[in-house]
Amino acid sequence: MLVYFPYDYIYPEQYSYMQELKRTLDAKGHGVLEMPSGTGKTISLLSLIVAYQRAYPLEVTKLIYCSRTVPEIEKVVEELRKLMEFYAKETGETNKLLALALSSRKNLCVHPEVSSLRFGKEVDGKCHSLTASYIRAQRHSNPSQPICHFFEILHANIVVYSYHYLLDPKIADLVSKELAKKSVVVFDEAHNIDNVCIDSMSVNLTRRTLDRSQANVETLQNTIQRIKEIDAAKLKEEYRRLVEGLKEANVARETDIYLSNPVLPDEILQEAVPGSIRTAEHFVGFMKRLLEYLKSRLRVQHVVQESSPQFLKDIYEKVCIDRKPLRFCAERLRSLLRTLEITDIADFSPITLISHFATLVSTYSKGFTIIIEPFEDKTPTIANPVLHFSCMDPSIAIKPVFERFQSVIITSGTLSPLDIYPRILDFRPVTMSSFTMTLARTCLCPLIVGRGNDQVAISSKFETREDFAVIRNYGNLLLELSGIVPDGIVAFFTSYIYMENIVASWYEQGILENIQRNKLIFIETPDAAETSMALEKYQEACENGRGAILLSVARGKVSEGIDFVHHYGRAVIMFGVPYVYTQSRILKARLEYLRDQFQIRENDFLTFDAMRHAAQCVGRAIRGKTDYGLMIFADKRYARADKRGKLPRWIQEHISDGSLNLTIDETVQLSKHFLRQMAQPFRREDQLGLSLLTLDQLQSEETLQRIAQIAQQV
Amino acid sequence: MAASSEEVLLVVKKVRQKKQDGTLYLMAERIAWGPEGKDRFTVSHLYADIRCQKISPDGKAKIQLQLVLHTGESTTFHFANENSALRDRDAAKDLLQQLLPKFKKKANKELEEKNRMLQEDPVLFQLYKDLVVSQVISAEEFWANRLSMNSVNHSTSNNKQEVGISAAFLADIRPQTDGCNGLRYNLTSDIIESIFRTYPAVKQKYAENVPHNLTEKEFWTRFFQSHYFHRDRISTGLQDLFSECAKQDEKGLKSMVGQGVKNPLVDLQSLEDKALDEGYGTAATPSTSNSNRTVKENSNSAIIKRFNHHSAMVLAAGLRKHGWFSFHDLGDWYFPVGAIEYEDLQQEDGLKTVSLNLKKSDRYSHGPVPIQTQHYTTSQDIINSVILVQHEMANYKPCLTQVMSSTMASSAIVALSPGGVLMQAGTQQAINQMVPSEVQSELKHLYTAAGELLRHFWSCFPVNTPFLEEKLTGHLEEMLQTAYNKFHAWQTRRMMRKT
Repeated sequence: MLVYFPYDYIYPEQYSYMQELKRTLDAKGHGVLEMPSGTGKTISLLSLIVAYQRAYPLEVTKLIYCSRTVPEIEKVVEELRKLMEFYAKETGETNKLLALALSSRKNLCVHPEVSSLRFGKEVDGKCHSLTASYIRAQRHSNPSQPICHFFEILHANIVVYSYHYLLDPKIADLVSKELAKKSVVVFDEAHNIDNVCIDSMSVNLTRRTLDRSQANVETLQNTIQRIKEIDAAKLKEEYRRLVEGLKEANVARETDIYLSNPVLPDEILQEAVPGSIRTAEHFVGFMKRLLEYLKSRLRVQHVVQESSPQFLKDIYEKVCIDRKPLRFCAERLRSLLRTLEITDIADFSPITLISHFATLVSTYSKGFTIIIEPFEDKTPTIANPVLHFSCMDPSIAIKPVFERFQSVIITSGTLSPLDIYPRILDFRPVTMSSFTMTLARTCLCPLIVGRGNDQVAISSKFETREDFAVIRNYGNLLLELSGIVPDGIVAFFTSYIYMENIVASWYEQGILENIQRNKLIFIETPDAAETSMALEKYQEACENGRGAILLSVARGKVSEGIDFVHHYGRAVIMFGVPYVYTQSRILKARLEYLRDQFQIRENDFLTFDAMRHAAQCVGRAIRGKTDYGLMIFADKRYARADKRGKLPRWIQEHISDGSLNLTIDETVQLSKHFLRQMAQPFRREDQLGLSLLTLDQLQSEETLQRIAQIAQQV
Repeated sequence: MAASSEEVLLVVKKVRQKKQDGTLYLMAERIAWGPEGKDRFTVSHLYADIRCQKISPDGKAKIQLQLVLHTGESTTFHFANENSALRDRDAAKDLLQQLLPKFKKKANKELEEKNRMLQEDPVLFQLYKDLVVSQVISAEEFWANRLSMNSVNHSTSNNKQEVGISAAFLADIRPQTDGCNGLRYNLTSDIIESIFRTYPAVKQKYAENVPHNLTEKEFWTRFFQSHYFHRDRISTGLQDLFSECAKQDEKGLKSMVGQGVKNPLVDLQSLEDKALDEGYGTAATPSTSNSNRTVKENSNSAIIKRFNHHSAMVLAAGLRKHGWFSFHDLGDWYFPVGAIEYEDLQQEDGLKTVSLNLKKSDRYSHGPVPIQTQHYTTSQDIINSVILVQHEMANYKPCLTQVMSSTMASSAIVALSPGGVLMQAGTQQAINQMVPSEVQSELKHLYTAAGELLRHFWSCFPVNTPFLEEKLTGHLEEMLQTAYNKFHAWQTRRMMRKT
């Protein structure tokens, strides 16, 4: 198979990656592939799959590329553009591939009036009011109105969009259900995919939501009343449709046209909407009853935790709501909104939320839990009741994807330990590989700092985190490093509150002032706009040579989405092990579930989760082979084998016994040495043959043997 | 008294200088002091020559004002009028404070330029010592020629790099306890300037209040007392002078945030392709009430805010010009090019980085080194010559028609190898050994000095102005004579020593 690769050189691991990928596609199975960031995953994926599509057009018809953030998606599109140009140049033919990137209307809308709005919801609402089907019908008769191209194109060879478009049943139903079976689905940056799955299936209800839903119901009632007076036929027509039921949908699923919707399980399709909610008025009455019931549940004084069957039993006893109509709630509401020609969907989001909740709770008896908290843990005096309907099983949301598409590739820079993903997502991969980074020079330097100069162990564990000595040692570490590391340093804390406390005590101790002598300090805040500004200033400061420090939070937005290439991040410091807040009831429920269902011990999962976030954080600084950076793990717990062993292989193999449990002074010495070495000019010739291959080298037998060692099968 | 036509701005009587009573005059362009009863000035300094003024601390018995000159000398005036000594001194100080900066810039520039040239160029420095210090030619003449010559290559360095502000300037103001429950802050004009540049709001307050409502001292006292300086304090009362500043800062911060960011890669708000509506997801909904935050938490977040703001302001005070990403126009949207390129996978080198514009790169890499008189090669020279040699080597083409026969070549190599015919007792070696190095260097200095004089001499031709003519016939001849005499003296001294 001839693969066009739009660069003059190739990394050995890219070649190896493509081989594994091809093996997965050949076997028509799923794959889990881990390759370090900055070694060109995206372009390898794209060039191989596009070549595969060309070679076997009947085997693979479509590539669905899912990434996480908007910039990531834009990057993919850019790479694709480059690849296409290369194809055009090499083959001389204009390409026949149609690539399509989808994003929310906020990012893509070309309508001049709409795109000026800043908030996603407003845009959605406005767009819907312009493009809803009946308005589109009008537009055909009136061509002067601008047309949104979104609806005109859906048959592309390559689709690039965010995870949610495939995983979130609410959106997938609209966007993705018509995608062909013979597609390859790629989840890039997939290390958090389980959380995305869970998020898309979980619902939180507050008193405010209920109040607003109440208002929605009233509006619905009025609208129905009005329509009944004007156009009773319309409602009758809807009734007829509902009697016929969801037969059409059923036919479609059986003939394999649609991606199945996890919210809409198979049984529903066999049946018609039950009579009790078939007429509009009855349905509104039904919703009212449901709302009243939920309100009464929120009036509890103590925390309640129960399973879906318990909830259903209770609702039947209290207000006589059966399971069956509940299941049709979402479908019925959608139909009603369509019939009533309500354009401003945004206003009805609370009631939609309730209907989704009703459907989910009645559909799944396993994998979900309901927790009602009358107040927040920190403020037990202020009543703020929340009903969490929480999904604990990420495989529920992703199941249709694995079942429907012939190949699903899960890939990221940090997926270690690889075997846990198939377990929590409940699928069987045909390939699982981790690739290392071939390096002509060791451009990453992971160091584990376990002690201060005073030999006090440093750790962010709960018992010692407020310890004065620990905080001071953390401060000294940052201070010392700020003196020797050029340009940018990024430091991650385990949580926002912890960072706030540390910053305050560093300020009192004058450590921050001393750091300021070396570099400017920028700090992440909970406010996204403020943080964006701080980030931009941070980059500016790195740019003009002044150097800066960014204090940030693991699991925060910065740690997940922002790259610190080259001088933007010459050192990353991870203060502590970023464990998730373990006291949360939702998490506890999930851990229990994992233990019972998948035999994953609580501690294993927590450590896995903490280490993947730590790896994400430190991986932010290395974005390629020409890049270099220090990775400093400031917690003595990192030195333990169970923690260290969960780091990605490409980081792990550079941790020597000599870099465990260092003091601050030793760290500074090692860092100095490393930085001095790295600052030497680095040329292509140094890399060539080792970590960079030309076409000729690629064809030699010897190199191929070496490449075979790069991938580590699990 | 000396009747001068200059405008006298201030006269202070009873001022002692070197234990002599007299009167201090502040005039438009200079400061002068004359002893009592005499009508001439024994001390007179142009403002341009004064580097700075210092005053004795409050509460000291002697009330003094010291002027430090650029040359390093200083003059101290003691205000001896019993009743109004302090007032007199302050009047003089204030007037000087206004006058000095006006002259400072002009003088500084020239002086700095000269100083810099001397420091940069050890040969020139030696020449300066030989010619000016030994009074062969006057300093002005020496520079007249130089500066004009160098003006070309210094026009580039004249748009000099603006010095940024140290981020820790506030930390540099270390309060000292004075023993009786008080704090003393030492403020220098640099720090004040830093504060003003970083916090324009404070500057405005200063301009509004300082001479009219408050004295300078009071102003700064209040500044240090205010919550504004102490970043963790939360604004309390309105009577604070600086509460308005804080509000203004807040506003500035808001507007900065409001502007949004240009680089889409760091815009966290649009980072996520957010599909989850409100109410979905496991993440707890943010608590609606902020009132339940404790005071401590509030002050912590205030610190964080202040730090971000401070850093941003410091950065803004420095220069902002360059960007890493070259934004290329793709229709309506921008995408940073640098973000997706694998520079090492491609042939050509893509990005141009900002280079540090160092005037003295040697000092950057070696740290400060005392200027030495011996000849040395700058690293730039070495690099240049290496590049030159490399270049030559790269372009070297053997001219095969004109090669020697191999026997001749090998005999030549033998002859040139150590121990060969031509390598015995090389002339170079002889001179090195015969003449001691000090003699060599002295001779070299004399030679360069003579060369410089000759340059002066030849630069007078063609003689087309009366000034040049005068220079030629008058003192230039004299100078050459002096130089010759110097050389002669040196020669005889050497001869004497030898014999």
